[in-house]
Amino acid sequence: MHTYEKLPEPRLDETDRKILNRIQGDFPISRDPFGEVGKEAGVAGDEALRRVLALIDRGIIRKVGPFFDAKKLDYASTLCAMEVPGERIYDAVKVINAFPQVTHNYLRKGKPNVWFTLIAESRESIDAIIAEITDKCGAPVKNLPALKVFKIKVDLKLDDKD
Amino acid sequence: MIKTDARYIELIRVLQIEELYLERDPFGSAAKLRGWDPDEVIELTRALKEAGAIRRFGAALTPRNSGFKSNAMVVWEAGKMAEDAGGVMAKHPRISHCYIRPSFEGFPYDLYTMIHADDPGHLESIIKELSMLTGLSSWRALNSLIEFKKTSPVYFPLTHSLDGEK
Repeated sequence: MHTYEKLPEPRLDETDRKILNRIQGDFPISRDPFGEVGKEAGVAGDEALRRVLALIDRGIIRKVGPFFDAKKLDYASTLCAMEVPGERIYDAVKVINAFPQVTHNYLRKGKPNVWFTLIAESRESIDAIIAEITDKCGAPVKNLPALKVFKIKVDLKLDDKD
Repeated sequence: MIKTDARYIELIRVLQIEELYLERDPFGSAAKLRGWDPDEVIELTRALKEAGAIRRFGAALTPRNSGFKSNAMVVWEAGKMAEDAGGVMAKHPRISHCYIRPSFEGFPYDLYTMIHADDPGHLESIIKELSMLTGLSSWRALNSLIEFKKTSPVYFPLTHSLDGEK
């Protein structure tokens, strides 16, 4: 996205790839996770950790940690869409982004153009946030909760393509 | 199980500290922060994962920086075919998210997919492939033009009291 500097081509060696494929889906929940990951990739634990830190620095790994199922924690989530005229987009973004419950927010091609996700402790809280955003931005918000989830899988298999 | 157990809530708060995973012994450090036994932290964390409360424990990549150059939210007009089409799409390895959502006035699309491709041509060919597999011929690729925000949700933030005002 144009908000970022262009990064150099990622060059992942075999060891990086092995480490990534393992820790994407299954970071060991143990006393020595990097030791275990390293062992599988054929390097020492300190080297596995060093490589993970380097992958974070290079912007290849965004985050390591738990990803919770909002529903199982009794949280509610939704996707919202809004049509905001060009000259008012940045004001609207300021309003929307101020809510910590807004986790993603994108300008997308076409109409509606502003798309954001909300995660909050209840449906009521989501409705209240949407009402406030509608009010402050003066534009209607489409609330599009998932009616059925077929897939949420953020780990992407890295094959030996480069 | 989770909302009723203060211990799980405490644990979830600690596990969300991203700095933990930048050192050799994340769960030992988490335990230290709470004054708990490391084995207990590990046991309870595994229990959260087994219960599905932790959907996944691991690294999230930035698709754009890891070789997936062309990523788009593609929405499909599926209607009655949404169930079958969603099942087919979910099997595709380049689709990370697939949901049915309500359509609305002027926007007939109700099946949402996130597709990660190597380049724009590849994205196009995945869309054509999915169109053939599902029989859906009306779709729109909603490319992201600007990322305004992308963060992880914070569960059970300490600024709210849990037993609080309600």
